[in-house]
Amino acid sequence: MRNRDSRLTIAGRELSGLRAEKTILLAIAIQLFIAAFSSFLVVGLVSMYDPGSLGGAEVEVAGAGDAVSDLERAANEVGGASVTRYEDAGAARLSFDRNAADAVVVANRNDDGGISATVTAPDATVETTVIVVQLRDLLRTYERQERADRAASLSESPLPLPERTGTSPYFTFTYTVLIPVLVFLPVFISGSLVVDSITEEIDEGTFELLRVAPVTLGEIVDGKALAAVAIAPGQALLWLLLLRVNGTPVANVPSILVLMTALTTLVVALAIAISALAPDRRAAQFLYSIGVLVLFGGATAMAGGPANAVARLAIDSGDATTTALVVAYVGIAAVAYVGVRTLVAENGFEK
Amino acid sequence: MTDRSDRVRHRIRGAQRRLRRILRVARWETVRASGGVDRRTLLAALALLLVAGGVLGGGLAAGVVGLDVDRDVYRVAVDGDSPYADAVEAEPSLTAVPLGSAALGDTADLVVFDGRQSGSIETVAVRASDTRKGEAAAAEFREAVKAHNERLMAAEENRTAAFPITVTLQYIGRTSGLDDGSTLGGDGSESDGGSGRASGDDSGDASGGTDGGLTGGDTASEGSGGDDGDNGGFAVPSVGGAAFGADTVGSPGSISPPFPFVSLLLAFVFLVPMNFLIQAYGSSVLDERTNRRGEPLLVTPLSPVDIVAGKTLPYVALAAVVTTLIAVAVGGGALSVIAVLPVALTFLAATFVGAMFARSFKELTFVTVGVSVLLTTYAFVPAIFTNVTPVALVSPLTLVVFDLQGEAVSVGEVLFSTGPMTIGAALLFGLGLGVYREEDMFTQKPVGRKFLDALAVRLSAVGGPNWGGRSLRARLRALAPVAFLTACTIPFVFVAELLAVALLFALPVTVSIPVLLVTIAFIEELAKSIHLYAGFERGAFARTDRVAVAVGTASAVGFFLAEKATAVVQAVGLTELYVGRAAFGSVAGLEGLPPIAVAGLFVAPLLLHGFATTVAAVGASRSRTYYVLTLALATLIHAAYNFGVVRVYA
Repeated sequence: MRNRDSRLTIAGRELSGLRAEKTILLAIAIQLFIAAFSSFLVVGLVSMYDPGSLGGAEVEVAGAGDAVSDLERAANEVGGASVTRYEDAGAARLSFDRNAADAVVVANRNDDGGISATVTAPDATVETTVIVVQLRDLLRTYERQERADRAASLSESPLPLPERTGTSPYFTFTYTVLIPVLVFLPVFISGSLVVDSITEEIDEGTFELLRVAPVTLGEIVDGKALAAVAIAPGQALLWLLLLRVNGTPVANVPSILVLMTALTTLVVALAIAISALAPDRRAAQFLYSIGVLVLFGGATAMAGGPANAVARLAIDSGDATTTALVVAYVGIAAVAYVGVRTLVAENGFEK
Repeated sequence: MTDRSDRVRHRIRGAQRRLRRILRVARWETVRASGGVDRRTLLAALALLLVAGGVLGGGLAAGVVGLDVDRDVYRVAVDGDSPYADAVEAEPSLTAVPLGSAALGDTADLVVFDGRQSGSIETVAVRASDTRKGEAAAAEFREAVKAHNERLMAAEENRTAAFPITVTLQYIGRTSGLDDGSTLGGDGSESDGGSGRASGDDSGDASGGTDGGLTGGDTASEGSGGDDGDNGGFAVPSVGGAAFGADTVGSPGSISPPFPFVSLLLAFVFLVPMNFLIQAYGSSVLDERTNRRGEPLLVTPLSPVDIVAGKTLPYVALAAVVTTLIAVAVGGGALSVIAVLPVALTFLAATFVGAMFARSFKELTFVTVGVSVLLTTYAFVPAIFTNVTPVALVSPLTLVVFDLQGEAVSVGEVLFSTGPMTIGAALLFGLGLGVYREEDMFTQKPVGRKFLDALAVRLSAVGGPNWGGRSLRARLRALAPVAFLTACTIPFVFVAELLAVALLFALPVTVSIPVLLVTIAFIEELAKSIHLYAGFERGAFARTDRVAVAVGTASAVGFFLAEKATAVVQAVGLTELYVGRAAFGSVAGLEGLPPIAVAGLFVAPLLLHGFATTVAAVGASRSRTYYVLTLALATLIHAAYNFGVVRVYA
């Protein structure tokens, strides 16, 4: 009974410290800012790379050359571009210079049976990227049609494409980048809090005071870890609910929260271990930053990394493998925490 | 004569002594800092990195590593014998599930039916679950088939049949001068400039044919005249030009849009070490404040400026070294270093202020994260628009992108880009230095109250018992710091407004302009009145209406004068942009109006600032609640005025 109480007391003291400094509000504000920022970046980049996806612009192409009729055939299939035929390259070019066309494509047949297309796009305007992306679409369609005409000369003909469907590239981003980022930001913050909390106590000498109180070192560590782990799932849940309100349904929320809590425990264990090894705050924070970068960078690069697991759970593509992964992370976190706690309880913090 | 030379010599000797003092503190800080991050820590960090490298290397060898965050997110039911199974297999984001057991919407998002008849495939049909996920899976599948086809074709013997089209892509400018017309809606009157060059370019087109030497800037005579004209003035930098190797020749699939993606990523690399740097710096400053550790330093003959300069110097030097190393590594030149240094200084200055205000390491951690997120955004977001709009130049990172692309940048652009940040860093250091003294350093207060303290330190008393007996000159002298402090906020107001412009740039003009007007009004009103509130709260100002009007007017005059000084903005051409004009409406576009209107427009902002700030000041002299309310009122007045100005210009 006494044991549980002292742990909860320490955890409560940690939390009230956070409340007094209102740091948790700042933390949430920072997370919101990061989310808004990354969404802004992606919407911006996507609109530059894939203008058609955002309810696209139509590009007016001035066509010329002896293969222009095939180009027109391709344009009929592509939504984002229309071709106007001109007599020769000069006339097409003139219309480009007069702003009547966005780009010029001069398509001529070669001696060897191929087609060479000379594409002129405007330099130095915001539309250039949009125009080039649409032109690429047009020319790829053109290429596909020409390939189909030459299928006899190919040993293996290309597979027919399914129908084009409308979708937003933002959809994949939301599940594979935004949700993992929002779920893992609280994890890093919790670990950082533990590093600060422990090194600060060592620095100010209050650890010595705590140790004359009737609590063991293990209990102190438990209390601090408890507070840090406890604040993480709530933040993640907040983001997931916010996304749901925003029209992005997130599946398997309980599994995601279990996974992120396990990771928080793992990172907190790492933080405690680092604070035990390097009691100086600067060194500890430096090592912690590198450690977390290594841990998450490495884990993300692996098949079945936590970011990918969260993405699959959130988009509802989880299977037995993802469930096994969640269980495995819980196991790893438990082993890591118990191991670190035992070592610290026996050896104490350095000073 | 000798008197003066003596004085000069004396002053030089004084400066030398001060430099020696600063260097002494810097040496001490270096020794202390390297003691903190000792050899063992570095070894531990190295060991961690080695382990990570080993694991990654092993993973690469075993083939389980790849940065596919979207691995297996869509499940596609496809027959194992179908050629489409290979396409699905090769695409990381798709995972194949057996056709027999798949239930659409439950265990599969997409079902593929290939119309296989006697070996060859004529058509393909897919059925996606009726959700956004199903649509996304279908689009992803289509891309996977395209990629699969490209791979098939790359293996073909008959190159002409596999890649029947060879594309030569060239970029040619058709206008000269600033191209903002097409950026924001366009005026369509550019044809005459263009047609003048049409003939020249056409002849080039005919003769150049396929060799790909046709970029406007590169070609010998014709195009170069126009392009040089572009670069001479302030113009949108060339997108095509040298940056992207200009002419690209290849199959249609190899065309890549002209977006400085790689340069942007490389520019971002410059910001990464800053985060580690400010962590160490913030700790070092806060260390002084815990356990009254900095007290011995304060009682030495060293001034706070010496101490802070000395403590900061090693970090600035480190930033310079790291930046230079990165510049060498990514192929940047001196311009990159010059552009990144103000950013580094601002990172350090903001961290210094944060560490002076923070109560604990925990708070400092959040302040540090906040600083790095905000500054990274400020540096990075405008740089995305490098080739699009001159507003991008508010971020020094844009200069780095230019440098990496090998574009020429004028001295004016460098100054415009780095100036506000450098001044901002200096002012932030000034703000933090105000509370670098015994009574403030070792006390624990919420960040907001510390901020008010730091502002109030710079104010002198206005009003109070002896006020009536003072001469007019003495009274004005007491009000001068109020105006000066307001003037000092101008760089921050500038930065905040430009950040708002950059963030709202992507929105349609009908939405962005009203939001922008209110945001800008709020930023300016806050900048003009927050130190007045600090003055009333800390007892520098007597809480009477007369004092409120006096300090409000002084603040408005300071703001007005400083704002007029920013007419420099106009010289850089920023106000050519519609959004920019809304932000800096009061300084732009005075030409073509009758003299009385010009005079009116000149004085009108002063009246507006005076009135709005006085309203906020009267509220500030009462209480916090009143201040919040009157600040909102002042914002509304200001926004209404701004709206009127925009209407006049539109």
